Amino acid sequence: MQYAPQLYSAALRMTRNPADAEDVVQETFLKAYRAYDSYAEGTNLKAWLYRILTNTYINNYRKQQRRPSEVELGELQDLYLYKRLGESSGATQSAEADMLDAFVDTDIIDALESLPETFRMPVVYADVEGLSYKEIAEALDVPIGTVMSRLHRGRKALQKKLWELAEEHGITGNANE
Amino acid sequence: MSSGCDHAVEYIYQYLDEEISFLKKTRIRMHLRHCSHCTDAFQFEAKLKDVIRERGATEPPPELFDTLRALIEEEREKDESGM
Repeated sequence: MQYAPQLYSAALRMTRNPADAEDVVQETFLKAYRAYDSYAEGTNLKAWLYRILTNTYINNYRKQQRRPSEVELGELQDLYLYKRLGESSGATQSAEADMLDAFVDTDIIDALESLPETFRMPVVYADVEGLSYKEIAEALDVPIGTVMSRLHRGRKALQKKLWELAEEHGITGNANE
Repeated sequence: MSSGCDHAVEYIYQYLDEEISFLKKTRIRMHLRHCSHCTDAFQFEAKLKDVIRERGATEPPPELFDTLRALIEEEREKDESGM
């Protein structure tokens, strides 16, 4: 039961729907209970549970197949959000970090949920759930190198979305209102 | 931008995720000590990571725990009755 809250959060970010998220977690626990014999003692329990969660979501709750296009995010600059906020504020030292306080929970959640699935999973698993690269690789059944490249691209896309939200809410230094 | 800056920015996520070799970590630490631009950027990214962690999660409804317990209990009974 100890991982239930984290698994619920992850399921909700993936399904974007509380009822579906609860179902995914319930199925995950049931499958984990039934498959416990096949769980190898000494391996990572957390990664094993996330793997069951991932498969449950993919098999039963994924809405429509989104082509996991690697190009759809386009090329983005490193430190995207930092640079945009810096330009907009006329950057006195560390002003950018202070601007992060203006993002509320729903901004962060919207930005996470806007990511294409291929990128959303590793970003949520790393940044919200705090899984290691190795745990994410096990949960998604992909090599660590793939985890790292998807995380890299996913985080850039997340920053781009956060910048759009910052502009919409007028929390940039532009004062466009 | 020096090559030290390029190196630091290239490995910024691995550094913040603590998924970096000791050698690279040491090189970045030494660079950050005298580069205020990169230090500022690193502090920003570290804070962003914290913000996402804190505000990107959602608490489950409290009933979920009862539901899960009941579900497992039901399975256990099935096992014990040999179904």
